[in-house]
Amino acid sequence: MRIDVEPRRARSLPFIIAWLILLVLAGVSLVTAFLGVGVWAPFAQFGIAAMQAAIVFILFMRLKGPPSLRWVFAITGFFWLTFLFGLSMTDYATRKGWPSSYMPTRPGITTLNDGP
Amino acid sequence: MPNSAAIVPEVQYATIKQQGEVAQLGMWLFLVNETLFFGALIFVYFIYRTTYPHEFAVAGKDAVVWCGTVNSVILLTSSLTMVFAINAGAQDARRAMVVWLYATIGLGCAFLGIKGFEYYLDFQDQVVPVVNYFAKPGEGTAGELFWVFYWVATSLHAIHLTIGIGLLVYMLWRIRRGEITSVYYAPLEVVGIFWSFVDTVWIFLYPCIYLVGRS
Repeated sequence: MRIDVEPRRARSLPFIIAWLILLVLAGVSLVTAFLGVGVWAPFAQFGIAAMQAAIVFILFMRLKGPPSLRWVFAITGFFWLTFLFGLSMTDYATRKGWPSSYMPTRPGITTLNDGP
Repeated sequence: MPNSAAIVPEVQYATIKQQGEVAQLGMWLFLVNETLFFGALIFVYFIYRTTYPHEFAVAGKDAVVWCGTVNSVILLTSSLTMVFAINAGAQDARRAMVVWLYATIGLGCAFLGIKGFEYYLDFQDQVVPVVNYFAKPGEGTAGELFWVFYWVATSLHAIHLTIGIGLLVYMLWRIRRGEITSVYYAPLEVVGIFWSFVDTVWIFLYPCIYLVGRS
């Protein structure tokens, strides 16, 4: 099915289908929280969130279709976000004892959990 | 009341179509800032959660999951009604455009109503840092960080949504004045882009807040 998001020609059906897919994905995300899959749950949930965001961006925010310059603006935000995450992670990723769930805390290191 | 046929582009634009496209690009440029704004917030959450996974799992159990889930459905639906309003406007269906805009405003208000009720439940549950907070067993002191994130993130989101509702009301006023028609509906598209972006922010806040520590 060819999807036309141009408002003058757009039909309702593709948007209704996209909305139903969004609701199903939200339901799946909720279910993964109760499945007991441990560390994989957040990966699934944020993966689903990324899929939902892609649908909203491309169809509901009309990234699909002209002017294609919109893609440059949309991608720029995520480009700078990658810098923000990446450069910040150069600090955290090189810290000893982080992340705490995978590496035991060394004796003598005080964390916020230890209290005063 | 201005006549829609009299809508002419501002002096710096060659055509009304060009004016509309530039307006949309302006909103996308604003959303680049918003992406970094909310992205930084979610990055802070990522750092907290990976540093204190057990405390976040315990604290997250107290989030009212039904409120968050119902609000997710409401916001996703509001993005659909917003698109319908834009399409109706472009296809010269003025009455349908107004009806869908009212539906979008109604859904936005429903979201805020449920959010307000959830805040009331949170206050009863003593999970309001500084004001009324009681650390549950197993949370440690880091559990409070989860709730600081919760209040900062959800209140910032609610402020954005309130602005969105205000913009929709402004659109209704402009429609009434005949300034938004099938000839020129770019302002409605611009507000629609903002509205769906606020929806997208919630899509990421939902697993951050409501799906932590459930299993």
